Amino acid sequence: MKKIINAPERFIPEMLEGIYAAHPDELMCVGGDLHCLVSKRKHAGKVGIATGGGSGHLPLFLGYVGEGMLDGCSIGDVFQSPSAEQMLAVTREIDQGAGVLYIYGNYNGDIFNFDMAAEMADMEEDIRVESVVAGEDVASAGPSAEGEPNKRRGVAGIFFVYKCAGAAAAAGLDLDEVKRVAEKACANVRTMGVALTSCTVPRVGHPSFEIGDDEMEIGMGIHGEPGIRRGKLRPADEIVDEMLAPILSDLPFQAGDEVAVLINGLGATPMEEQYVMFRRVKQTLDEKGIRVFRTYVGEYATSMEMAGASISLIRLDDELKGYLSAPADTPFFKQFQL
Amino acid sequence: MNATDLRVLLARWAGIMADKRDWLIELDSVVGDSDLGLTMSDGFRAASEAADASDLADVGKLCYQAGKAMATAVPSTMGTLMASGLMNAGKVLKGLEQLTPAQEAQLFEAYLEGVKNRGKAELGDKTFLDGLAPAVDVLTQAAQAGPIGAKEAQAAADAAWQAFENTRGMLARHGRMAIRGEASRELLDPGAAVAALLMKGYAEYKADSE
Repeated sequence: MKKIINAPERFIPEMLEGIYAAHPDELMCVGGDLHCLVSKRKHAGKVGIATGGGSGHLPLFLGYVGEGMLDGCSIGDVFQSPSAEQMLAVTREIDQGAGVLYIYGNYNGDIFNFDMAAEMADMEEDIRVESVVAGEDVASAGPSAEGEPNKRRGVAGIFFVYKCAGAAAAAGLDLDEVKRVAEKACANVRTMGVALTSCTVPRVGHPSFEIGDDEMEIGMGIHGEPGIRRGKLRPADEIVDEMLAPILSDLPFQAGDEVAVLINGLGATPMEEQYVMFRRVKQTLDEKGIRVFRTYVGEYATSMEMAGASISLIRLDDELKGYLSAPADTPFFKQFQL
Repeated sequence: MNATDLRVLLARWAGIMADKRDWLIELDSVVGDSDLGLTMSDGFRAASEAADASDLADVGKLCYQAGKAMATAVPSTMGTLMASGLMNAGKVLKGLEQLTPAQEAQLFEAYLEGVKNRGKAELGDKTFLDGLAPAVDVLTQAAQAGPIGAKEAQAAADAAWQAFENTRGMLARHGRMAIRGEASRELLDPGAAVAALLMKGYAEYKADSE
């Protein structure tokens, strides 16, 4: 294990101490628990939005707490859910009388704890909570039939959900409406990833999985969950083609659609390579008559030092375009009104 | 059963999960991330300690508090499921200081319901539920006939153990084991093992208190 850390068990608390030290005017913790993070800027009557999940994915999740996006976040140890009690503490702190929306990724540990926190908020605090669970990784499961639960993992595409729901809440929409916008964003976003190397959980000390120097795994999840195909590393254009085809056919994205694209680095893949990937994505979308409204390239949801990237597309209508274009100001994501 | 008895039972559960920690780790390492043994021993210890630290006489509230302590200590998938069982049993038994045999059986029934509602799995999916459900049936029937003694509790523990062994051969439909598809049939379910241990602990507690 080769990491700049002091001690594996101090990795998360010391990371958090660094976050608060770097953003003293924007973020604060709740009840002395560094794992419960809220925005210092509050707006009376606004729907609160909370997220949460395991550590090891910065800037996900806590990096999007701020103006125009999220109000609070609870985070656990590396790849471990925070507790329902921590989620409840955040919920209590960010409720401004208009209720709270939970937006988080489709993982059992997170679902169980957020569900429990929502029950506690209702029983113990009389706070109305609604939940939207993002699951858009097309490699992780097939599309779910009507009425069936979504089995897909939530990955980088949740950024678009945060952005649109956050802007809707900032615009003063009520809880049901903000939830509707979040669900609409979820329904229109699709992601696929590729991994070239493993990450190492500090307290485990060795890589989460073995992969050859000349290999890649298409469709791997951001905790190292198995993908759909492992094989020899291919040229960038071929990798992008293999990732993009199932994304496009899944929704499906069609000629005339307008989309936003997110090329997301998993932690150890340089921006240069991400732009090489976007070049090919843009060529393909142009060929298919799909218009790119807005592009985001960089690290939005990582898996520590994993090398690889994901491609997310969201189909936009006028409403989602409006919310995506709204300003945001968080420690890790800043955007002027487009 | 009163609040004091519940504290004794929780301590027994904490003890058995600590004793069987390595066995659970081994069972879990085949399909999971091997943290089940740690989660269960840490979780039930936290539940037991919270109950010991509380002077509540309300069996339901005490059970709920123990579950909450567990949820906070071990927010993993299985930790949250077991905490949900305790919390639901607490909700159902709220307001009672002395449980009748039927209410004692209800504790386990509500525990099962709590886990089922949280995890959204069904009977037959090869999970904890398949280990506990047959034992709950035994207890519910016994409670209709009279008090639940050591003999009845042992019968429930035997049913849970048999159900755990019967998970070999079942197809996993839920959780991480389901990824294995047909290959999951040859594996024992670690969740059902936890159910068998819970019932074993209950039988031991009953034998001790007679």
